[in-house]
Amino acid sequence: MFAIYKRLWLVNWAEQWQYRANLLMYLAFWLVSPIVYLAVWTTIANAQGSINGFTAPDFVAYYMMLLIVDIATSDITIHIFGYKIMDGSLSNELILPIHPVLMKVLVNNLAFKALQMMALAPIWLILYVLYQPVFAITVTHVLLAIPAIALGFMLQFFAGATITCIAFWTTRVWSISDFYSNIFRLLAGQFVPLALLPAFMQSASQVLPFRLALYFPVQLLLGKLSLEETLLDLGLQVVWCVILFVLFRLVWRAGLKKYAAVGA
Amino acid sequence: MQVVKTMLQQSAFGAPGADSNPIVVEGLSKTYQVTDREGGFGAAVRSFVKRKFRDVKAVQNVSFRIGQGEIVGFLGPNGAGKTTTLKMLAGLLHPTSGSAKVLGFTPWERNSGYLRSMTLVMGQRNRLSWDIPAADSFLLNQAIYRISDADYKRVFDELNELLDLAPIIRKPVRNLSLGERMKCELAASLLHRPAVLFLDEPTIGLDISAQVRIRAFLKEYNRRSGATILLTSHYMADVTALCERIIIIHHGQTKYDGKLVDLSRRIAPFKLIGVTLGDCADCDLSRYGTVVPGEGSEDAGKHSVQVKADEVAAITARMLAELPVVDLTIEDPPIEDVIERAFHE
Repeated sequence: MFAIYKRLWLVNWAEQWQYRANLLMYLAFWLVSPIVYLAVWTTIANAQGSINGFTAPDFVAYYMMLLIVDIATSDITIHIFGYKIMDGSLSNELILPIHPVLMKVLVNNLAFKALQMMALAPIWLILYVLYQPVFAITVTHVLLAIPAIALGFMLQFFAGATITCIAFWTTRVWSISDFYSNIFRLLAGQFVPLALLPAFMQSASQVLPFRLALYFPVQLLLGKLSLEETLLDLGLQVVWCVILFVLFRLVWRAGLKKYAAVGA
Repeated sequence: MQVVKTMLQQSAFGAPGADSNPIVVEGLSKTYQVTDREGGFGAAVRSFVKRKFRDVKAVQNVSFRIGQGEIVGFLGPNGAGKTTTLKMLAGLLHPTSGSAKVLGFTPWERNSGYLRSMTLVMGQRNRLSWDIPAADSFLLNQAIYRISDADYKRVFDELNELLDLAPIIRKPVRNLSLGERMKCELAASLLHRPAVLFLDEPTIGLDISAQVRIRAFLKEYNRRSGATILLTSHYMADVTALCERIIIIHHGQTKYDGKLVDLSRRIAPFKLIGVTLGDCADCDLSRYGTVVPGEGSEDAGKHSVQVKADEVAAITARMLAELPVVDLTIEDPPIEDVIERAFHE
């Protein structure tokens, strides 16, 4: 089993490097939004002293940490898989004795993450020198953050895979995916730290799983959560992962019955 | 190759509850629901508000059995339901009704034991990654199908011997010619020594010599491995070279299932007598049978006459006695014509 993951990784890694310009633009695309938010919020906070108790150094620490966590937990399933359902090229993968999503797409996601981290490293260091963030990280935080980030990614992966499967019925899923990712950005804390959202949005974010994939690991790494809060959110992550995994399996099976294997 | 054959039998034919026939299809049907609208702006808007659907019966109540080691040609005009049937048998599509067992498995349950024992090659599709050399895709398949290094080497060497792969597998797939790519596709599809092969237009778009090579390869692979092959093709040369038996499907229904030679006898029980005449301005060939228009060959004095198969001997004798015959040949009608008739019968 490990050999399959290893080969998938090697093939995908080689494929990603094939188109250098395209790869660089993708990587840049991923970094632009958080860096813009970082710049905008610190400027505003500097001008006003603080926003609802958030000072400029708070925003700096928040977004510098978010840059890393966002890449670690993000999911690109719709981009690597959506078109395959649409144009029927999924057929090429369905005849293989491996799961197209739970193996191949998963590895593609991880390989892309590794590349993103490589691209992020120099940019992050430059931002570090420019903004001089202050982190209060302990070993405990890091140890707890490892499962939190892994579960945060799995949560996004199963959610992304489920949404991509809507293509079995609607053929096109880009608009649904864009809608979802905007809601995600808002309720996961990318536009703005959740504590600064209006009350009803904060309530919504508490009920929905999005914050568990981004805001929770960031807050954990910033040392803002107690051990009880951390364990509770880790537990919630597991519950949501199970729910979304089961949902994905159901939608996948139903989708395959609907699959028309167009073309050829 | 004996090793491959033994492994084949171990891997595939040990499937639970396997019929003695590797492919058993009973009353298979597939109906697609497609949106139905006329052209034009108004129709587009109306269709957005209220969508009309239409049922398309792609495959209707198709049944057949294919024995181990058989190569069967699956023929029919475009849209007849060939590819849909193949896709159901390869586990890509769920049927609307009916059943199928391949190597004892129900294909659309997509059991990994089944997927490991069969392959589907679609001439217009690729299972090779476009951006990297085929060699890398082969290694990926080795991992996916869990082929040991020793088995991989043996099978690869053999495929290399048959297809001459070595010079092309280090180039990125996108830089290969269609013929080279098809060779790599076939090799990638056969590394795991499938016991059942579904081939959809395996020679489409290839030049004549590439077609001949692929055909020879398939025949040899079948001979050596004993694999069962169901193939569709619009090239009759593929069919005559490879398939003793054919199944003809039209409008989703089976029209014929039997030997290719029997089809000729049944559908077209006639022969073509080709005669080249000496100096004979007013010879009337229509007295002997239906004169078939040639392709400019009359200039050279050659004519084709279609006669009933059981009258060939008598008519030939009469022609030789009554006409200044320079040359005479007796041929079967072109297989394309026979199949074409069968489609519409």
